[in-house]
Amino acid sequence: MKKVLFAGVAASAMIAGNAHAQDLMFAPGDGDFHWDSYQAFADANDLAGQTVTITGPWTGNEKERVEKVFDYFEAATGATVEYSGSDSFEQDIVISAEAGSAPNLAVFPQPGLAADMAKRGLLTPLPEGTAEWVAENFAAGQSWVDLGTYADQDGNDQLYGLFYRADLKSLVWYVPEAFEEMGYEIPESMEDLKALTQQIVDDGGTPWCIGLGSGAATGWPATDWVEDLMLRTQPASVYDQWVTNELPFNDPAVIGAINEFGWFARTDGYADGGAEAVASTDFRDSPTGLFELPPKCYMHRQASFIPAFFPEDVEVGTDADFFYFPSYAEKDLGNPVLGAGTLFGITSPSDATNTFLEFMKLPIAHEAWMAQGGFLTAHAGVNTGLYNTDSERAMGEILQGATTFRFDGSDLMPGEIGAGAFWTGMVDYTTGASAEDVTAAIQSRWNEIK
Amino acid sequence: MENIAGHKPALTWVTRICVLVLVILWLVPTVGLFVSSFRDRDDISASPWWQAPFPTEQTSAARISGEPALVDDVYVLTGNLKDGEEGIGKITAFGVSRSDPTGIVAGEETELRGGGTLVVNADGSYEMRTPEEPSDKGQRVYFAAEVPPEFTTDNYERVLYSNGMAQAFINTFTVTIPATVIPILIAAFAAYALAWMQFPGRGLLIAGVVGLLVVPLQLALVPLLRLHNDIGIGQSFVGIWLAHTGFGLPLAIYLLRNYMVGLPKDIIEGAKVDGATDFQIFTRIVLPLSFPALASFAIFQFLWTWNDLLVAKVFLPSDSGSWVMTRKIADDLLGSRGGDWGILATAAFVSIAVPIAVFFLMQRYLVRGLLAGSVK
Repeated sequence: MKKVLFAGVAASAMIAGNAHAQDLMFAPGDGDFHWDSYQAFADANDLAGQTVTITGPWTGNEKERVEKVFDYFEAATGATVEYSGSDSFEQDIVISAEAGSAPNLAVFPQPGLAADMAKRGLLTPLPEGTAEWVAENFAAGQSWVDLGTYADQDGNDQLYGLFYRADLKSLVWYVPEAFEEMGYEIPESMEDLKALTQQIVDDGGTPWCIGLGSGAATGWPATDWVEDLMLRTQPASVYDQWVTNELPFNDPAVIGAINEFGWFARTDGYADGGAEAVASTDFRDSPTGLFELPPKCYMHRQASFIPAFFPEDVEVGTDADFFYFPSYAEKDLGNPVLGAGTLFGITSPSDATNTFLEFMKLPIAHEAWMAQGGFLTAHAGVNTGLYNTDSERAMGEILQGATTFRFDGSDLMPGEIGAGAFWTGMVDYTTGASAEDVTAAIQSRWNEIK
Repeated sequence: MENIAGHKPALTWVTRICVLVLVILWLVPTVGLFVSSFRDRDDISASPWWQAPFPTEQTSAARISGEPALVDDVYVLTGNLKDGEEGIGKITAFGVSRSDPTGIVAGEETELRGGGTLVVNADGSYEMRTPEEPSDKGQRVYFAAEVPPEFTTDNYERVLYSNGMAQAFINTFTVTIPATVIPILIAAFAAYALAWMQFPGRGLLIAGVVGLLVVPLQLALVPLLRLHNDIGIGQSFVGIWLAHTGFGLPLAIYLLRNYMVGLPKDIIEGAKVDGATDFQIFTRIVLPLSFPALASFAIFQFLWTWNDLLVAKVFLPSDSGSWVMTRKIADDLLGSRGGDWGILATAAFVSIAVPIAVFFLMQRYLVRGLLAGSVK
């Protein structure tokens, strides 16, 4: 014990300006973290007395966790990081940037807003060489570069966003014990998943819990379904065209994907409570149906963050688990993965800010949160052994092993569509409107804003 | 009923019943919040608040495991489901599969899938007989039992003792008190001038103030913050006092002016005849008589600034040391994705405690102010 302590003290003493070193979660030198690059970074940079201000959407315990990551930056450079989280980040950042009191960095929960701010000249491009670095060091690197590249005021494409923390959306959550008792197998293909859905109904159960409610954002869980099914019925290139509206919203390909979703959500007996309940159930309450006795449903398709809304005593890995939302065996489209992520953008440039972004490229910046749980990363250079739980490691591996990674399409579409017409359209569809009518209405809205 | 003469008593009763119904209607959500604030997050989603005081029948799961005794070539495992579990009442039914967790009445015997039998009694005791040694994992058993109502003060502990709550409380006062006093001071002077002093353009000025009432404050956020940055106030408490003052003034002036115009003309003209200056009339006569209007506006302004989240987010620095209570609740206690109803309800009650106290205190002054006006 004493030996470890000494090693920790010795290692931390090596770091320049280690004012906060004693508060660090894991003493430098301990565990399988990438300490070497951190050490080199600490030796090369001294920012004593400088401050980096950051604002983002992480509040509550996510704020606590990310602040522990920032502690490492403070310990290495002697700079101070002031992070503030906001529940209404999207409005706050626009107001403060417009008024000229923006922090150095903003953490955007989706690229749409960052692209919008870049276009209005409120963002500063990332330092040169960042694009090459991301392309090389992230799994499916080029797609992350593309997602962070937006047109500036003059219409020139520049890299504005560095992705940090990803969410995985193509997951189906289930209760292993329930599957075991009923003798159900994890489906390997979409065909199997559909057969399982029918089998559960034949056995007298309800296969799916789907909830679209989310206050003003009601409808977004359905857009994730459609995007996932779009990737499973069409090649990724068609998906890209759909997101940019090169492929009209009312194209048969999109209507097909929406009707696939309808097969799950609108078929009698497939979703708990029927289509009406699907539209009105809150997405946060929806997964609890898995854990009720008798179960209200057996499967729930939702992103990697959903365990936060499981009942308190549910342990992920034993009481609940997930499988990859499978692709069609008959269609040769590989294993596409749908995800989302948060990105850092510069709202007020400074030298310390650039150094901070250098720090965010280090494996340790990712590993320090991985080890605390609730964090996935596309950074290929991290030690995946550091993931907090086995299930997070499995998700991290899905992310890193994706043949095709596509970002949540509704986040990439213009706000009016992706955070408006698409959401409400999906609610209309779920409650009985036809896919043709709904998509035609969304397309005409899109034509209006072009 | 017939011996009560006239319509009036009947009408009084109708009014009273209507008032009673309205009061109940208004109180229902508050009572619901109050009950929810004492409940656990999982309880809130499991049963509605009006069922909270009654015992409910809940289905739970347990595992039967342990060292079996070998009796006549049969492994017998006995025990009690209630062991180690608190607050479980009488067991009414049980089952061995998730899809039918309460299919067997307590006390009856059931066959197990892997062979053998299981019986669970109402008091929780069970006996499992299997021809083969049961696995270490144990046998899953589901049971329905009466669960007594459960209330907890955990939510209040979390809200009241969370880090920085005291600071946020003080910050809210730091914002609220000047943001209530400053507009009243300015508006009282302005209202007197607009009501009793003759000068050209007075009508237009009043129309302008009324017109400002309809301007949404959201429109002013960006320009005002930019102005604050330019003149060096930046994001600070001074900035938010000025902002709240500006946003509150139109209503304050409008309200006070309308009240002051209605004061008896004779008194003010009498004072003028006696040689009182406008300032003397204002401080000696108009201000004391306007007390009810001042108090009612103070209540309005206090409540609005107390509950405000948007203006505080824009005009105060974003570090947690200058968070007001609303921001502390929304951005810190509720977490990233909301949905924690217990905390939400509790936070609501904690944050309305002060406004309620203020309302009751001011109500006394309201009545006194009214009386002072009538007695003269």
